[in-house]
Amino acid sequence: MGRARTGRSWGWLPVVLALVATACGGGGDGAGGKLRLTVATFGEFGYEPLFEEYERLHPEVDVVGRVTDFESHHKGLITALAAGRGAADVVAVEEQYAPRVRRSKDAVVDLAGFGALDLRDRWAPWKWEQGVDGDFVIGLGTDMGGLALCYRRDLFERARLPTDRDAVAALWPTWERYAAVAARFAEEVPDAKFADSSGTIYTAVLNQARENYFAAADDSFIGDANPNVRRAFEIAGGIGAKGRTARVAPFTPDWNVAVNQGSFATTTCPAWMLAQIREIGGEAGAGKWDVTTVPGGGGNWGGSHLVVPAQGAHQRESYRLAEWLTAPEQQKRLFVDAGILPSQPAAYQDPAVLGHTDAYFSGAPVGELFAASSDTVRPNYRGLRDADVRPVFGLALGRVENGQRGVDQAWAEAVAEARKLVG
Amino acid sequence: MRLARLDRRVTPYLLVAPFFVLFGVFGLYPLANTAWMSLHEWDLLDGPTAFTGWANYAALFTDPHFYNALGNTASIFVIATVPQLLAALGVAALLDRPLRGSAVWRAAVLLPNVVPVVAVALVLTQLFGRDQGLVNWALTGLGVEAVDWRAHSWSAHLGVAVMVIWRWTGYNALLYLAAMQAVPRELHEAAELDGASRWRAFWSVTLPSIRPTVLFTVVMSTIGGFQLFTEPLLFGGGGSGGVDRQFQTLVMYLYEAGFQRFDAGYAAAVSWVLFVLCAVLALINAALLRRVVREA
Repeated sequence: MGRARTGRSWGWLPVVLALVATACGGGGDGAGGKLRLTVATFGEFGYEPLFEEYERLHPEVDVVGRVTDFESHHKGLITALAAGRGAADVVAVEEQYAPRVRRSKDAVVDLAGFGALDLRDRWAPWKWEQGVDGDFVIGLGTDMGGLALCYRRDLFERARLPTDRDAVAALWPTWERYAAVAARFAEEVPDAKFADSSGTIYTAVLNQARENYFAAADDSFIGDANPNVRRAFEIAGGIGAKGRTARVAPFTPDWNVAVNQGSFATTTCPAWMLAQIREIGGEAGAGKWDVTTVPGGGGNWGGSHLVVPAQGAHQRESYRLAEWLTAPEQQKRLFVDAGILPSQPAAYQDPAVLGHTDAYFSGAPVGELFAASSDTVRPNYRGLRDADVRPVFGLALGRVENGQRGVDQAWAEAVAEARKLVG
Repeated sequence: MRLARLDRRVTPYLLVAPFFVLFGVFGLYPLANTAWMSLHEWDLLDGPTAFTGWANYAALFTDPHFYNALGNTASIFVIATVPQLLAALGVAALLDRPLRGSAVWRAAVLLPNVVPVVAVALVLTQLFGRDQGLVNWALTGLGVEAVDWRAHSWSAHLGVAVMVIWRWTGYNALLYLAAMQAVPRELHEAAELDGASRWRAFWSVTLPSIRPTVLFTVVMSTIGGFQLFTEPLLFGGGGSGGVDRQFQTLVMYLYEAGFQRFDAGYAAAVSWVLFVLCAVLALINAALLRRVVREA
């Protein structure tokens, strides 16, 4: 300040150039001239150790993981695809968003161009189908979400219910019986709830049906007339209306607190949920949980594909990484190490996978529980506008749990709103 | 010589250019582009699929969720702004008196404003938690029934308003303080000689003198209040603002349309309505301001 300047000075120029250069040189080359590939996932994929191994196998590559929560991840992806920049080199797309990406598949690379069609036999046929559009290979399948049910042994003991997983499974062959057990539980244990939320029950029941909101044949909206949807809504809403849920949804801070405090006794567990519970419950939760079969028998909830956005600068290298990450060897390892359920017969029929037990979940035979039923898992049809309609029913169930609406009124509201959305 | 003349003629424009360039790039262009988008059926990913004219606006004006969001926004705005500005006046009046370590106090009242909004929202959302929240713990301690803060409109609006009040009271207090210190001391001395009480002096001398600043803060709070987003979003319940949309604000509804349903055309229409709304409110405020200043 106060120092007079004579003449023009260009001293600022190098500084500006340097700033511009650093700002624009962000992507591409990693440390030490290595090729940097970013992999964006959400929740728990268990990929970190695999990245390290891939770097060992390919010293020229530097793999950087980017993990966010489900919502931010997918919104970020769609925004980045729309903007034409900002997406990672390899991105996970969950089945709920798969129809959305399929509709705009020009935004991702056709992996058939790198020979992905030859890999077809690796996956269970339905998993492969979810990731392709004709001969256009949109993504390579990662995990799947075979359904089971997680329960707290300590709370079941307090409720004077059986704790042995086979005996527990025998309690609820159907969802109606599950609701009856909820009533018994509520009488014995006043300070904990039977389930986490109506929403999780609803999603599980819904995912056992072949079709839910949209017709597989012509993608027309059938959510208002499909008895599967109505039934799922009534079962889940009925349990919620009676105050037997802790009213906490997975992936929220409240749910995490509830897991730690033992506020609910059961939650529907797609295979990937085990990793969530283990991560949140930590050491203190070891041995408190167990896993058994879900009422109504089997079903699939979730699972993802890895896609390579067309905006990426290193598509071939990205494909090679995605191919390696989804290969049977890696899927096997992910199941044994992190409980991520494989979507490939070669992986889930492997003896090491089938025989795997999970010490955290009281030594539950998770290999048998999940992998053994993998052959019979069938995905439900997800319509193009599935992600628009789905939250409407979830919010309606929330109003039932709050006691603000009856099940019938909430149902009528949800159907009216859904009709308006798709109309 | 010629170069010097060119310099004289061009340099002033160059000096003011950065503002206009930035305003054009970040102000005018998005505004025009959004207007264009709002006239289309426009998917965030696929781009425009059809020109629909005013269809998005027509749908918006018959959309109950839009009016719900508008009502929530107005309600939270009132609950947040009135106590906030009153409290700011009080804080400013306290700081206006001779005080030891006044710089420290002034810095302290601004502190909530420099804490990132996300941090504020996370902490306050925890405080208002249903099962483990400190507020409910205190309430049950006092023998009052715990409140499910997020479930009801009134409690959720209150919770969100508390975050806004917490963040902006100090900021407005400093604006008031600056205005108060510009009030001629003679006026206060004259009031004192006339035997006016401290309250009377505040009411009849200080307040009329800082009226323009008060109106300025009202304008700013209005614009800020109608763009309220982060606080209610982080209050929980996702973009819908609770299961019954009980605290979904206008910008949250915009966000839901644009980034949850990827209906960019509709979201653009919401943002234009919001823009017009803010402009109208600002104009009304400005007209009031002009009258008040002329009177003063």
